[in-house]
Amino acid sequence: MHTGRDVLLRTVASQWRRLAGGSLLGAGHQAGEALVPVLIGVAIDQAVAGGDWGRLLLWLAVLAAVYVGLSFSYRFGARAGERAAEEAAHELRTAVVARVLHPGGGAEDRLPGALTGIATEDVRRVGAVLMAALAAVAGLTGLVVAGVLLLNTSVQLGLIVLAGTPALLWLGHLLGKPLERRSAVEQEHAARASGMAADLVTGLRVLKGIGAERAAVERYRRTSRDSLAATLRAARAEALQNGVVLALTGAFIALIALAGGYFATTGDITLGQLVSAVGLALFLQGPLQLFAWVNAEFAQARASAARVAALLSAPPAVPAGDREPPGDVAGALRLRSVTYGRLRDLDLDIAPGELVGVAATDPAAAASLVRCLGRQADPETGTVELDGVPLRDLDPGRLREAVLVAEHEAVLFEGTVTSNVTSDAGHAPGAAVAEALEAAGAGDIPPGTPVSERGGSLSGGQRQRVALARALAVARPVLVLHDPTTAVDAVTETRIADGISRLRRDRTTVLVTTSPALLAVADRVLLLHEGRVADEAPHSDLLRRNPGYRAAVLA
Amino acid sequence: MTRELLPTATPARTRAAVLQAVRPHRRTAVAGFGLLIVATSVGLLIQPLLGHIVDLVAGREQAAALAVPAALLVLVGLVQGALTAWGLTLVARLGETALADLRERFVERVLALPLDRAERAGSGDLTSRVTGDVARVAEAVRSALPALARSLLSIVLTLGALALLDWRFLVAALLAVPVQVHTARWYVRNAVPLYAAQRVATGEQQQQLLDTIAGASTVRAFRAEREHLERVAGRSRAAVELTMRGVRLMLRFYSRLHVAEYAGLAAVLAVGVLLVRDGSATIGTATAAALYFHNLFGPINTALALLDDAQAATASLARVVGVADAAPADAAPAIRQQEGGGVSVRGLAHAYEPGDPVLHGVDLDIRPGERVALVGASGAGKTTLAKLVAGVHEPTAGTVETPPGVAMVTQEVHVFAGPLADDLRLARPDATDDELRAALATVDALAWAEELPDGLATVVGEGGHRLTGAQRQQLALARLVLADPAVAVLDEATAEAGSVGARLLERAVERAVDGRTALIVAHRLTQAAAADSVVVMEDGRVVERGSHADLRAAGGRYAAHWSAWTDHRQDV
Repeated sequence: MHTGRDVLLRTVASQWRRLAGGSLLGAGHQAGEALVPVLIGVAIDQAVAGGDWGRLLLWLAVLAAVYVGLSFSYRFGARAGERAAEEAAHELRTAVVARVLHPGGGAEDRLPGALTGIATEDVRRVGAVLMAALAAVAGLTGLVVAGVLLLNTSVQLGLIVLAGTPALLWLGHLLGKPLERRSAVEQEHAARASGMAADLVTGLRVLKGIGAERAAVERYRRTSRDSLAATLRAARAEALQNGVVLALTGAFIALIALAGGYFATTGDITLGQLVSAVGLALFLQGPLQLFAWVNAEFAQARASAARVAALLSAPPAVPAGDREPPGDVAGALRLRSVTYGRLRDLDLDIAPGELVGVAATDPAAAASLVRCLGRQADPETGTVELDGVPLRDLDPGRLREAVLVAEHEAVLFEGTVTSNVTSDAGHAPGAAVAEALEAAGAGDIPPGTPVSERGGSLSGGQRQRVALARALAVARPVLVLHDPTTAVDAVTETRIADGISRLRRDRTTVLVTTSPALLAVADRVLLLHEGRVADEAPHSDLLRRNPGYRAAVLA
Repeated sequence: MTRELLPTATPARTRAAVLQAVRPHRRTAVAGFGLLIVATSVGLLIQPLLGHIVDLVAGREQAAALAVPAALLVLVGLVQGALTAWGLTLVARLGETALADLRERFVERVLALPLDRAERAGSGDLTSRVTGDVARVAEAVRSALPALARSLLSIVLTLGALALLDWRFLVAALLAVPVQVHTARWYVRNAVPLYAAQRVATGEQQQQLLDTIAGASTVRAFRAEREHLERVAGRSRAAVELTMRGVRLMLRFYSRLHVAEYAGLAAVLAVGVLLVRDGSATIGTATAAALYFHNLFGPINTALALLDDAQAATASLARVVGVADAAPADAAPAIRQQEGGGVSVRGLAHAYEPGDPVLHGVDLDIRPGERVALVGASGAGKTTLAKLVAGVHEPTAGTVETPPGVAMVTQEVHVFAGPLADDLRLARPDATDDELRAALATVDALAWAEELPDGLATVVGEGGHRLTGAQRQQLALARLVLADPAVAVLDEATAEAGSVGARLLERAVERAVDGRTALIVAHRLTQAAAADSVVVMEDGRVVERGSHADLRAAGGRYAAHWSAWTDHRQDV
């Protein structure tokens, strides 16, 4: 899937049965609607004009049959179309989320809000194309049926109506176009008021914190009034357009009545045919307006499909390798001349089972290292190896089954503390959860505590400790922790340091931090300065002998 | 904290609010609807004119006689078009102005809500009202209201016109009404709970998508991709099935309307036969009646289908009015204002859940200009005390006395969408550019702010330039400087950054609170060491208070904290 066109074609292909069935039924419905004015004309001609009850019953029966047909066609046709649209959107939505979650990454240069927008609004618009296609087929059928009926009545009258109706709509469109354009601009302007309201409400705490409510309300009022002015301009344009269409339609009906009346006086058509022709002329506006709607839907769907396609075909940040990670991961990490971000020619060795601290004088260098170890990115030059296998050769997903990189910005999910800690379902039985919570200094948080979206219901310190417990609970052969205790008090931090070293005994653990409490429990600490290892020794030795280290970790 | 959704207005109150919103624009309302009535009435001349043409033809008149009714048809179209455009413009002005008044009042009240009330409601409740409900009402005002007004006028006036042709045509047409009324009531009865369920399902789907997408990196790290994909698919499936139930319901609704259409049409035609037979109507009149009725299908279907939008919009309106009506925040009575710039807390106790107190009888005095650090283990009640001093919550017992103007900065930072300068001016609307720069310089943020693509005019926040966590926090401190409060409360304002960044922020905090009375929740004890005085909390009580040096020497709780903090920081 590379282009929006591909996305649209695949959407149609995946739902073609429903689409075909729905279109057929939709066509039946429009044909039936076209017949109704004709039958009214026939009934007036044959029953009303002659005052004939028998004829009336006959034509009412025919009308009833047509009604049953058009009603059921509409009901089941529209149902098939809506189902197709919903199923297509569901499939695309799943595909979009799967792409975002793909182990190779590479989709997240967009903001979460924008990605969510693609997974909801854009996929819905792409799905809606099916309903639009169905309506187009149905409308076309209505047009053809009405055309045949009219031409059958009188070739001249039929031609007037068939040529006149599109001309009328085209004229309306032409007159309305500048108004339409203006309206689109104004609508966009008008949308600002709602965007700003949402933004202010999201920042409610901040506004309250500095007493900025009045200023915010004033600002909102100005935006709201600007929006109102824009909306009113747009509404005036739209109303004018409505008026123009009404006037044109009136003129058109007058033309048909005049022509039809003339043909009727000359005896070319019957009275009933005149009534039918007027009715059909009015009916024809329906399908033709439908086309305008279909057109707009397609335009929107094309734009949405392009966004979906761009996301689905976004190249992964890291390619998948073809080698399997070693079955029994010992946990040896080796970096050779790694240059990436703020890392310069970095060499680094970590033995299986070691607890190593990495203190960086530059936070950005620490972040670069963490990204390489979790293979969120591959180094520009040099290699990172796990048990002698270059990470580049591994599938990033499989790699993460061996190496867990717990990011500083780790997110908690809606659920409970337990459901978060057991995020890797089935891998952490109950006892392990309690043990992990205890080691993460989170033993005081009841495991059943509800967690709201992104952990908002917990305090910053609680969030961090639960996230740490989650990282400890999955017990990966290699664990990299990035600044896991920045929101935790000193006493708890010391307890956490002991917990980590207890729980991770004999399993490779890397603490990327400048927290002395954590670094003190490491077997060995590496000082990362100017992108490479500047010194290494246990924490206390480094403190004593390296002033750069002291400056980095002591506050 | 138990969820407690914000109020929803009763139907009576919602109606009253609508009337109240419309009242100042009475003239526009009368003029707008008056014009639409005239326009629709003029439009109803079309069918009799067509019927007249039929009669002329039936009476074997000359073709030239058709010119007059045809010209009148053109005239009718022109007049109807002009009046409709004018009327619609006025109706839009009425609706949009009332809507703007309402949304402004809504935002004003939301911003005036006591923070703990807003927190109890949950961010989702407020956000969905601001975005979903206001938009739904706006959409209804914009498209549904004019269409509904025109449809209803068409229906009523067409029925009137039928009566003018012959009262028996009206009776025939009204045969369809019981079916329609019954159908509409059946529909509304079924649709209301269904759409409520649908909104919930859509909200849950949205929530799950945000949760999963914003946490994608974490999901990948824990190999929870499949589980999250299943969760998303499950929520999406539930929303799809509910939508389809809604679609099926609506389609059944239309099927029933078809029955009504047919019944009415058949009756009108039968009356036509009857009246033409006994000579009380011409064929043209019968034609006009049948055309009238056929032309009613559109407006009737439109009006009944708009029941849907009207239903949804009314529910949304009730939720908007509910908040707009919510009593504005009373000045929290427990917070007494105090002259001078100090803070005085007496016997303060607080429980978020009854019976589960987190603070017990706290007394605390802060001298004007004093900087107090609040220290203690997680869960000791530091944040609660800070929030009570800042007036976020109403204490369960006890009093807080502060001077007017207490500002609070937490680690939750939000950057307002728009130019950076506008964000800062929320704190002081009349600040000059120089004052903004000075505030940024105070918190060491001027250098990066000027390096932004457009300097202080750079658009930041949602959809704009992305700032780092530390930059957002500096921005929050710059706002504090501009707001220039007598008392500043800071809760974990440095927690988002690692140690190196934290030190930078600590310096910024020190400068930001310089000259103010300050209460600082400190995890990093360097902040405590630099404060004038340290307050140690444990299990919701103040257990120690004194200067850093005195408390260290005293060998109590603080000394233990300090030694844990410095243990690994000292040369051995």
